[in-house]
Amino acid sequence: MSMVSKILRVAALAIFMAWLIIPITWTISLSFKPYLEWRAAHFWPKDPTLLNYKILFYYEREITITTGGTALTKPMIPPLINTLIVVGVSTVIAVIIGFFTAYGASRYNSPGPFGLYFTLLTRMVPPATFVTPVLVYYRTIGFIDSHLGLILLYAAATVTYSIWILKGFIDQIPREWEEAAVLEGLSPLRAMVRVTLPLVKSALVVSGLFIFLMNYSEFLFALVLTTMKAVTLPVHLTTYVGAAGALYGAQAACGIIASIPPLIIGYVIQRHLITGLTFGMVRA
Amino acid sequence: MAAKPHRSINLLANLPLNILLYAVLIIPLAIMIYLSFTDWNPAKGYDWWQAQFTGINNFVRMFGDARLGAALGRTIVFVFIVVAIEFLLGLGLAYLLLAEFPGKRGIISLIIYPLMLPWVVVGMVFYLLFQDFGPVVNIFLKAIIGEAATKIHFLLNPTLGFTVIMLADIWQWTPFMFLILYAGLSAVPKRLIEAAQVLGASSRTIFWRIQFPLIRPLAMIAIALRSLEAFKVFDAVYMITGGGPGSTTETISFYIYMLAVRYYDMAYASAISLMLLIALAIVIRLFVKYTIEKGGA
Repeated sequence: MSMVSKILRVAALAIFMAWLIIPITWTISLSFKPYLEWRAAHFWPKDPTLLNYKILFYYEREITITTGGTALTKPMIPPLINTLIVVGVSTVIAVIIGFFTAYGASRYNSPGPFGLYFTLLTRMVPPATFVTPVLVYYRTIGFIDSHLGLILLYAAATVTYSIWILKGFIDQIPREWEEAAVLEGLSPLRAMVRVTLPLVKSALVVSGLFIFLMNYSEFLFALVLTTMKAVTLPVHLTTYVGAAGALYGAQAACGIIASIPPLIIGYVIQRHLITGLTFGMVRA
Repeated sequence: MAAKPHRSINLLANLPLNILLYAVLIIPLAIMIYLSFTDWNPAKGYDWWQAQFTGINNFVRMFGDARLGAALGRTIVFVFIVVAIEFLLGLGLAYLLLAEFPGKRGIISLIIYPLMLPWVVVGMVFYLLFQDFGPVVNIFLKAIIGEAATKIHFLLNPTLGFTVIMLADIWQWTPFMFLILYAGLSAVPKRLIEAAQVLGASSRTIFWRIQFPLIRPLAMIAIALRSLEAFKVFDAVYMITGGGPGSTTETISFYIYMLAVRYYDMAYASAISLMLLIALAIVIRLFVKYTIEKGGA
């Protein structure tokens, strides 16, 4: 490789890395700026402060001091807990149901009356198409602003991932192992639980973490279906700028904190991200 | 031939999934179909199941709805532009990182972090970056075009605002294209490339005649999945421009949201949703047929 092409290569990479890193760096920098510097043009804070982070964890007093008494934001702890409950429970449901369905699909070719195609379809169409009927339906049965409503919706929307990811793993396990267990006197159900389940344990964890990542980001349904009690973190993030005033620093800080859990999970399953995002069609 | 399923396993494989899908997807689907033939909205003072059928009024109305056409067209333009740029950038990046050099693993790990961020956070980051007080206008553009930069108001201009939404999507999803194409390119057998080099092929010839044809099926899957995903765009629009100014940066998802949540026009929103679902179901059916069932991967 010639010297020139090597330099071009490095330069191209450097520009791309800058493009990836600068937006987040600036957001982190904004989250440490004091109120007076939120709208200032300089990149790094001149007088770094933790105030923005304090605003997130309550302190209506603190907000009054910094912004002249306009802000009415709520602390971010309840939305964080809501997110963990809703996303955690829906992920567990999606993985369990996904495992049974994937097992049936892999061993007995029984994708159910809708077929696996239908599950793919539910994941590929824009969620906005379901906003209207789900809103009407949830209002009728009193599921608005409830954890249960969001949990069921999230589980249904992501069960596709666990079915397709787990089916790929179960397909690789020789069917003869279960048949041997059945010959030993186990019922087919117990053979599934005793033989297959332990072998796909790590796949269950991977698909669970991946689904957690997907549900954690969900915004549209949370925005439409929650008002007070069940507000999730992505919706809470939008409350800092708008009716409450323009708490740019606090919004940046909230975004940074909200990004930490998915980043940790994302790096844990780094090698499997592509498998998940392509429904198991591509394996890295 | 598949064995006859054991009864308990058969139940477990079908029942929980069906209960879940019926409870939160099939019933709303039925409500959607029903509402789209009525003129119901919550302000009417009676419940939705008491609504009168109004035939295909809602569907006729769609043809005269300029805002719908604009939102749909804008979304399609969005998909074409962002997917093309993401593909080209991702491909270029994958090609650059094909050679071995120290620190490569670290760089790849760093490149993929935008994928993991919540979509709303990415929207927020770009919303803040392109504010009038943000660094794009005041630091970067000022350095290039001088004081004139401060007169640019990104989020108050329809074209610029929509460009920011596209940039946010490109920023977040180029790593997705990169990861898939990188996986494909690294799987191309080394000896094929070495053999071509021995025969005197230039690296351009090698790319177009060996590497690219081999990753084509993979590239098709990546483009198809990303297009379907980009078509859903809502979070970035909501965070960055709120569809404005006016309705000039609205996408189809955002328009449906506005109809249902802001204007309470449930019947019309359902009709649009239904048409969109049918159109996309056909597209997705074709995609599944030509990639998954043919074993394209």
